[in-house]
Amino acid sequence: MAAPTEGLVPGVLEPAVVAPPPGEEGRLGRLRVLGGIWLPALLVAAIFFLCFVWPIIGPVPSPTGGSILNSNDPSFTPGHLFGTDATGNDEWSRLLYGGRASLEVALAVTAVGLIVGGTLGAFAGYVGGWRDGVIMRALDVLIAFPALVLAVAIAERLGPGELHAIWALSFFSVPAFGRLARAATLRVREQNFIAAARLSGTGHVRTLLRHVVPNILPELITFALLGMGIIIVLEGALSFLGLGIPPPAPSWGNMIAQGEGILSAQPKFVLLPSAALFITVVSFNLLGESMRARWTAR
Amino acid sequence: MTAPLLELDDLRVDFRQSGHVVRAVDGLSYQADKARTLALIGESGSGKTVSARAIMALLPDTARVTGSIRYEGTELVGLSERRMRALRGNQIAMVFQDPARSLNPTLRIGAQITEAIHIHRQVSKAEAHDRAVELMELVRLPAARERFRQYPHQLSGGMRQRVMIAIALAGDPRLLIADEATTALDVTTQAQIMELLRDLQERLGMALIMISHDLGLAASYADEVLVMYAGRAVERAATQTLFGHVRMPYTRALLGAIPRLENAPHTTLAAVPGQPPDLATQPPGCPFAPRCPEVTDKCRETAPPLAEQEPGHLWACWHPCGLEDSAAEEVAV
Amino acid sequence: MSSTASAPLSASPRRASTGALTRVVRSPLLRFVGRRLLVAIPVLWGVTFLTFVVINHLPGNAAQQLLGVNATPQEVHQLAVKLGVDKPLLSQYGTWLSHLVQGDLGHSLASGQSVTSILGTDLPITFELIAYAFLISLGLAIPIALVAARRPNGIFDRTSMVFSMAGLSIANYILALILVYFFAVKLNWLPALGWVPPNKGLATNIKYLTLPAISVALSLMCFYTRQLRADLVQQLRTEDYVTTARAKGVGEWRVIRHHALRNSAFGLITAVALNLGTLLGVTVIIEQIFGLPGIGHELLSAINSRDLPVVEGAVFVFALIVVLANLLADLLYAALDPRVKYGSTN
Repeated sequence: MAAPTEGLVPGVLEPAVVAPPPGEEGRLGRLRVLGGIWLPALLVAAIFFLCFVWPIIGPVPSPTGGSILNSNDPSFTPGHLFGTDATGNDEWSRLLYGGRASLEVALAVTAVGLIVGGTLGAFAGYVGGWRDGVIMRALDVLIAFPALVLAVAIAERLGPGELHAIWALSFFSVPAFGRLARAATLRVREQNFIAAARLSGTGHVRTLLRHVVPNILPELITFALLGMGIIIVLEGALSFLGLGIPPPAPSWGNMIAQGEGILSAQPKFVLLPSAALFITVVSFNLLGESMRARWTAR
Repeated sequence: MTAPLLELDDLRVDFRQSGHVVRAVDGLSYQADKARTLALIGESGSGKTVSARAIMALLPDTARVTGSIRYEGTELVGLSERRMRALRGNQIAMVFQDPARSLNPTLRIGAQITEAIHIHRQVSKAEAHDRAVELMELVRLPAARERFRQYPHQLSGGMRQRVMIAIALAGDPRLLIADEATTALDVTTQAQIMELLRDLQERLGMALIMISHDLGLAASYADEVLVMYAGRAVERAATQTLFGHVRMPYTRALLGAIPRLENAPHTTLAAVPGQPPDLATQPPGCPFAPRCPEVTDKCRETAPPLAEQEPGHLWACWHPCGLEDSAAEEVAV
Repeated sequence: MSSTASAPLSASPRRASTGALTRVVRSPLLRFVGRRLLVAIPVLWGVTFLTFVVINHLPGNAAQQLLGVNATPQEVHQLAVKLGVDKPLLSQYGTWLSHLVQGDLGHSLASGQSVTSILGTDLPITFELIAYAFLISLGLAIPIALVAARRPNGIFDRTSMVFSMAGLSIANYILALILVYFFAVKLNWLPALGWVPPNKGLATNIKYLTLPAISVALSLMCFYTRQLRADLVQQLRTEDYVTTARAKGVGEWRVIRHHALRNSAFGLITAVALNLGTLLGVTVIIEQIFGLPGIGHELLSAINSRDLPVVEGAVFVFALIVVLANLLADLLYAALDPRVKYGSTN
């Protein structure tokens, strides 16, 4: 009997499913289920729009290079919705550009994790044997390795920056996806249709691509959505510690770090990026959970 | 004539599922008497289990129960949860199908039995322990004292089922419902358990309702048989009468589907043709019409009522088997 | 997994001669533990080696850090030789490894203090923080989940699910800052920074740990609540033993507390043990914010000063704890699940 931790994903919090019970729907229930997917999806879309599209087409000033003459304007000053920071940069703009940076990192890290980790894990789960063992040990090392050491190292050696933050966090997401993909593959592999495919002469690669991957993909995607929230928080932590995106380029994490010193005097510099982070993470979490409810209640 | 212990009158159970309504039990009426065994026979989906769970109010929240279930005169439908709980395990007990999953794997056997004792009686731990061992011996569980401290997975299927029966008997119930109690067991164990149940019934004078899909079992152990189809009772009679003159084509088909030793080898197994009914979409007329070999237009239009056509034998069919009288031939198409 | 009819209970002749010690040694449990520890060794080795490589690729070295920017190259070199950091990578690693198996973790390049004693001072602080956080999170999560499962989709359930989703989405460092802002700065109920050891007053010690512990505990609590609630509801809805219990006349509360909770505990325990490993990473940033001299804080400053022995020691301990936590999860599972404990070899 497999021990419960073999195949689980240490290091990543997996919020549990809260699916609506079968048969308990009716009008309000249906509304809830629909709201479950569309509302967070809408929120996520809105956040992406605001961070990536709006600064290009809308009247958003540059987040850097502000004049010190404008510094510390209060909120609702004309032209500055949330005022300006200590060096005269528009706070709203910093929020949007900071969000873009954070989201870029999160997307990249998730993509790397999904592709590299997912492939490794699926491969390991499918072939089994010593190759499986080797891959899993390697991933175990990465998981046990304090991401912090790596992040600091990368930041020190190569200088902090967006790309380097992606590097550092990928070391964390690849094994997470890897373990999940492996566990999911192991489960799928036992199913009869895999045996049927193999018996009818389908080669290994084809079986993997046509049969295994489509069946583990929903789980991986759900995990990716939930992971986005976690990675955004982690990127924030890195930037907060000065290891991620360096000022003056904004990221929610370094904005919070900068605001920490003047927390009592002007809490908005911490609260605004915190709220942005919170809303984004909640949206991804809700989306991930409702997708998971959809997939498992099939 | 003694009043029946349990009386069902036009019991209906509906389930609300994603918008539409599924009628699992459609007007079921019967009686169960002390020291008698009633067999409820039917395929899966016939409503037999649902009707039994309705008696004990063990249905999920999506179920809607109408009609009447009277136990010793008390109306059970709509009874408060608190009063129902006082009856469960105490006066009315149930044994389930799958002993592997019906016992809590993390609790010892003894604890699960004594729990049943403690709920309904004020006894000390030692007394409960002794009573539990007594019950285990009553159900012929070998090495009862040692088994007390064991866990369910350490017992075989047959032994677990005995434990379930011991739990059911803990409160000295007057009515025992055995819901497919032997279906998951091998034939030998099945016979042992049925013998045990019969023996216990004789000793304790309980009413026994056995639910099964196995007509053969009913023939051997029941006093009265009730055949269900699509949530309705379609035939009911004392065992001898029923198997002596089967009337409902469905019952006949069920009997015919049992493999027999006397048949020549390679005889095709006579399965009941067609699919079990979809309880969400019930057409008018007899529910068995789509699969009945004797079906006529009348059958499809009007549902035959369950009526006592012969003394002690009720059936619901326009064209019962074995009745070569003019009334049946008249409506041939 | 098939059901097992247990062996005849009368002692067989072979049984009578089997002593307890042999039973333990041959026990599958011990073999299981042994196997897992064996597998863990390459992982630990991998982690420490990787750390060595990474740290040594950082610009600058310990000698440089210690002497500062104004030191001449000769001075730096002299100190480097003295500290042993001028030797090639593999040789340094080899030395460290050989000392490790003797139980010697070396000495700090910065302070000269033995790494073991540094860790010995720091680890308890971090552990106390983690323990406090677990206490808060489990102490709240279990009752909430129980009440929520009593009436699924009732008001309490829905509300607690909404709040737990929100709580999960708050970054712990943000929570820390907000907590400090409200409770330390505005209300002045609890201190914002610092650490007081227990021997100088347990109450004060706990006071200083409270805000940090809450920062860590909130997301844990939300996670455990959701997990336990989902597990309980699933048990109540789908498991046959629940129907049996109800058919016995057992009240719903007892069904949840006594029957379902036992079965749901496994998932919870696994989650807790696994979290033990990840919490160590979390403590780094929390200790930074609250000025707690724990192992996370130590690691961060050691990396900055290129204090290799301390870094290696701390990383090794981190990795060891992760491995042990995973093992603990499996052991607890085996110890508590009677199906595993009293399996076919009893």
